[in-house]
Amino acid sequence: MSMCCRPPQIALFLFLTLCLIGCKGCNPDTCDPPCDTIATPYTLEIPPFFPPMDIPEDNPLTEEGIELGRLLFWEKALSADGSMSCGSCHLPSAGFADPNPYSTGITGAQGIRNAMAIVNLGWASAYFWDGRSTSLEEQILEPVSHPDEMALPWNEAVQKLQNMGTNENDIDYPSRFNLAFATTEITPDLVTKAIAQFLRIMVSADSKFDQWRRGETSLTDDEFAGYQMFLLEGGDPEITPGGQFGGDCFHCHSEAGLQFSDYLFRNNGLDSTFTNDAGLAGVTGNSLDSGRFKTPTLRNIALTAPYMHDGRFQTLEEVIDHYNSGGLPSTTVDPFMKYNTGGLMLSEAQKARLIAFMHTLTDTAFIADPRFQDPH
Amino acid sequence: MKNLFTFTVRHVQALAMALALFTFVSCDNNREEEVLPGSVRIEFNHKWNGEESGIGEVLNDHLNHPVRLDNLQMYISPIELRNERGEWIEVLDVALLDFAIDGQRMTASAESGTYNALRFGMGLPPEINTNIDPASYANEHPLSVPGSAGMFWTWSSGYVFVKYEGKFATEIGNQLLEPLSYHCGTDESYRMVTFDFEENIVIQSEEISAFGLDFDAAATLIGPEDSIDIVQDPVTHSAQGTILAARLMDLMDDAWTLNPL
Repeated sequence: MSMCCRPPQIALFLFLTLCLIGCKGCNPDTCDPPCDTIATPYTLEIPPFFPPMDIPEDNPLTEEGIELGRLLFWEKALSADGSMSCGSCHLPSAGFADPNPYSTGITGAQGIRNAMAIVNLGWASAYFWDGRSTSLEEQILEPVSHPDEMALPWNEAVQKLQNMGTNENDIDYPSRFNLAFATTEITPDLVTKAIAQFLRIMVSADSKFDQWRRGETSLTDDEFAGYQMFLLEGGDPEITPGGQFGGDCFHCHSEAGLQFSDYLFRNNGLDSTFTNDAGLAGVTGNSLDSGRFKTPTLRNIALTAPYMHDGRFQTLEEVIDHYNSGGLPSTTVDPFMKYNTGGLMLSEAQKARLIAFMHTLTDTAFIADPRFQDPH
Repeated sequence: MKNLFTFTVRHVQALAMALALFTFVSCDNNREEEVLPGSVRIEFNHKWNGEESGIGEVLNDHLNHPVRLDNLQMYISPIELRNERGEWIEVLDVALLDFAIDGQRMTASAESGTYNALRFGMGLPPEINTNIDPASYANEHPLSVPGSAGMFWTWSSGYVFVKYEGKFATEIGNQLLEPLSYHCGTDESYRMVTFDFEENIVIQSEEISAFGLDFDAAATLIGPEDSIDIVQDPVTHSAQGTILAARLMDLMDDAWTLNPL
C-alpha cells in the first residue's frame, strides 16, 4: 500500500469512528428494552384536565405489551395451585377492588389490608396502603410470590409461563413475550413490565362528573350541592376556625388533575394506637408516620366498598359518619381531622348530598370496558 | 514534502468539515453542555429560635407551649437579584421548599455581574396562583399535579403558599394532641422579602456564588410587632374575612436571615 492512499483512508476511518462514537454518546435512546423490538408503540390519550402520565423509559407502552399484560393479569397459572389471578382480588364489578375487607389467598390465609382499587394507577407515585412500592412494576412483584396471596415463587412462575409455550392448548407465552419484548426468555422483570403496561391504560375518565366537567351533562341539584360541600372547609366556624360546614374532602382527595387524591399519606383518625398496623411507619421506621396510609382516589368510590385500609366500613354512609365524628385523637392524626372540635357537624341532608356527589365519580364504562376484562 | 503538506491540509480540512457536520447533525443534545454565565446556589435552612432544628422535634414556643412541627412547606416565587443599575434580575421562577427534607438547596444560572440585593416572593404571584390548571404543567414542575401534592386548593382559590402543620400541648408534660394547622394562601397573602447585601456579590462566569437563607419557624409565632398564641389561634385556611393568615405571613416576612456561605 502506497503512502499516498493512506490519508483519505485514515480520514474516512476517523470520520466513521467519530460518527459511531458520536451517535452512541449523543443518542438519548439507551436501547433498553432492545432497540430491535418489533412491538407497536401505543399512544395513551390523556383525558381532559388530567396531568401527563410519567411512563418509565424502560417500559414504554406497546400494543403487544398491553395485551400480554392483560393475559398475565388474568392468568391463574401465576398462582401456586392455578386457582387465582390478579383479577381474582380486583373484580371489575367492584371497581377492580375486592368486595371483601381482606383478600383470601390460595391457602385460605387472609391479608391484613383491603385490596386497593385499580384505577388511574399510572398517575400514582407510591403503591400499597403503606406506599412500600414506588413503581407499578415493583408493586406487581409482590402478590404473585406472597405466601398469603398467590404463593408462587417467581422462578416457578416464569418457568410455568415458559413451559406453556409447548402445550398447544395453552397460550404461547414465549411467543407473546417475543412480540412484546423481542425475547422468548420470560423473566419476572418482563412479566411485571407487561402487567404494568396493562394497568397504565386502565384509565377512568368518563364518570358523570367527568362528563359534567367537559360540559356534556348536568349535575342534579343534590350532586352539585355535594360537590360544593366537597370543596368547603369542615366544621362550625364558631368552634372550628375557618369552618364552612363543608365536607373538607378536597384537601386530601384533591381535584387537581381530576385525581381525587393527593397520593400522600395521612392518619385519618381511625385509631388512637397502631399496634395492629403501623401503616407508613412500618416502611419508614419513623414513629411520626404511625397510622398514616395512602389517600385513595374517590373515583369509583361507590363501587369499591368496603372502605379504609382494613375495610372496616361497609358503606359510604359509615365513612361520612366517621369524618362527621372528627375521628380519634392521637399524636399523628392529621390536622384536617376535627377530632377536638366536634367533627364536621353535617346534617343528614348534607351527608346525602355529599354521597350523591361521590356517586357522580362512578365510571360504568370503565368497569365494563372490554379491553380490561378476562380474556381467558 | 510540499505534496504531503498540501495533502495533509486538505484532509485536515475534510476532517474538520466532517467533524463540524457530525457535531451539527448528531450531537444536538450537547446544548446542555453550554457554559452558563454564572450560578447562584441558595441553601434554605429551618431553625427554631436561631438554633438548628428538624421537623418532628418537640420544642417550646414563646409562651412555653410544647410544639412539634410535622410539615413545613413553602412556595418561593420568584427569586431575584438587583444589579448595579437597580434592575431586578430573575434567577429562579418558582420553587417549593419542603423543610422535612434535608438539604433544601437550589442552583440557578445568573448573569455575570455585581449585585447588591436579593429578594424573593413568599407564595405565588397572582398570575401563577389562581385560575391555573396544575395539569397544564409538566409533572416535574413544582406547580404540577404531583409537584404540588397537598399544596393545591382549587382552581379558584389557587395554591397553599405556606403549610405550617404540627401538634402542640397546652401545657408542658401533656401529650401533643392539639392540631396546629396554618395554611396561608390567596393573592392577598403574597409577600416579598428583600435583603440588601452588606457587601456586593460578584457573580463570575462559570463560578458559583452561594449563600444561605435561614427560616426561623419560631419567629412565625412572635415578631417585633405581633405575636400569635397557638392555643387561641391554632388553625387557619386563609378563609375570606379572616386575618390570621395575613398576620402569619407578615411575621414570616421577618423570620428570614441571609447568610453568606
